[in-house]
Amino acid sequence: MKKVYAFEKNCLGCGLCEVYCRTAHSKSKDIIKTYKKENIDSAITIEEIEKKGVKTFFALQCRHCKDPKCVQACISGAMYKDKNGIVRNIKEKCVGCQSCIMACPFGAIKMSVSGTVISKCDLCTESGNEPACAKNCPNGALKFMENDS
Amino acid sequence: MNYLIIGNSCAGTACAEEIRKNDTNGNITILSEENFPAYGRPLISYFLQGKQNLETIKYKKEDFYTKNKITIKLNCKAESIDAVKKEVICSDKEKYKYDKLLIATGSIPFVPKITGMEKHKKVYTFLNIESATNIKKVVSKDSAIVIIGAGLIGLKAAEALAEQVKSVTVCDLADRVMGSVLDKNTASIIQKHIEQNNVKFYLSNTAKEITENSVILNDGTELHCDILIMAVGVRPNTSLARDAGIKTNRGIVVDTDMQTSVKDIYAAGDCVESLDILSNQNKILALWPNAYTQGKIAGSNMSGVVKSFNGAFPLNAIGFFGLHLISAGIIDGNKDEYKTYIKEDKEAHKLKKLVIKGDNLAGFALINTNERAGIYTSLINDKIPLSSLNYDITKQEIGLNIFSKKTREDKLFGGK
Repeated sequence: MKKVYAFEKNCLGCGLCEVYCRTAHSKSKDIIKTYKKENIDSAITIEEIEKKGVKTFFALQCRHCKDPKCVQACISGAMYKDKNGIVRNIKEKCVGCQSCIMACPFGAIKMSVSGTVISKCDLCTESGNEPACAKNCPNGALKFMENDS
Repeated sequence: MNYLIIGNSCAGTACAEEIRKNDTNGNITILSEENFPAYGRPLISYFLQGKQNLETIKYKKEDFYTKNKITIKLNCKAESIDAVKKEVICSDKEKYKYDKLLIATGSIPFVPKITGMEKHKKVYTFLNIESATNIKKVVSKDSAIVIIGAGLIGLKAAEALAEQVKSVTVCDLADRVMGSVLDKNTASIIQKHIEQNNVKFYLSNTAKEITENSVILNDGTELHCDILIMAVGVRPNTSLARDAGIKTNRGIVVDTDMQTSVKDIYAAGDCVESLDILSNQNKILALWPNAYTQGKIAGSNMSGVVKSFNGAFPLNAIGFFGLHLISAGIIDGNKDEYKTYIKEDKEAHKLKKLVIKGDNLAGFALINTNERAGIYTSLINDKIPLSSLNYDITKQEIGLNIFSKKTREDKLFGGK
């Protein structure tokens, strides 16, 4: 399946992927309004690596695992893998117990800003477009692609 | 091929789903003694609290049984197994034939005998939707609730009821809450937080006598009690297996295929003993993710695709009144072989505790932190030598950047 892959050597740590992730999951779909009025977190974590004083970065989001540990751990049935392989969370069923956060070996699931349900990457399925993070990455550090390796 | 599954919760449904992946034609039947489709069992407290309803509590989508061509028999208690004739006799007097059988009977509440218990007319356990529904029917804003047992079940019942009733009191013989899971310090943070939400505790002190409207504790304290919830603990539900001649200790004994001592009979979930990879002993690991994994592996082997279960370790993710605890492995690292690292903010009820044994992480507890707990879990699970990592886990918050570039890329591009 197509997923978003991170290419460390190209990542500037600019945070645009996070901005576009928030916007894509906002009501307004407007960068400024999302930033000012809608309190949502991105489903991306930007990690920093410092080696010999040089900083590099990469952006991480849900890996949509083949055999997802979060789905196994979910006590409510909110987390599931859909027919396209996308790991999704049904907000109405989620009780925010954090079992998925306990289980995800990538640390790719966050608590939502509300603190009552979890928040994760859905590959922008609602919009039907290419994931906003990859589409708007200015330096090719996130690519939406097949990878069978 | 006839596949028969006794039990319709996490392990049972995971098993059925896995069988269907490998065998599109075989007959799959699930027997459930309950009168409700599969539900998130730990969610009964949210149901009692009013945060979940009978629709949202369902564990599987509406079409789960039809889509996977599973025959589900509700209200159908398996009463005995005839391992020679390969059939299960049920409460409806029907006989169900099997070629491969899974026992996923879960846990049953352990209710100790307490003097006078028969005098009280509103005594409940709290383990299934039926008990939650029964409690829901009798609680009112004037109810004085006493819960015996300060483990996960008792505390979740306390949380569910605290805002709906006059008083909630929890007592336990142990000196701390969640005594089987937590060390004293971690437990005290949780206890304080729950106390701030109108729940009263009597610890190192439990019920010695029950009257028609009160509970009398060991030290003589008498607590008025309209509704009594017995949450002392649970036991693996092994009687069906034991009566069929299947080897059981505290739980049903299984091999790495999840097969019992009797050929073609498998078992999974809370009713079995599992290898705890940290202590290298067989234990009852009554944990949701463990039940899922075991059910799935049993289903795979039952349908001819060989897979093995390599063990598990304790894991808990639980919340009380907005406090979140995630813990795994060994938390009470008091022995010489463990090194313990603690970062605590008492005011904010925050804690990070790491327990290290030699060059491995042996356990952790996180309260109200936003750390990426699953990465710690993976360090325990994969037995990663801490010396191979990019930085000291006690020095900074964990991220995937703790792994070498090669490991990191393998993980990100492997997508397992």
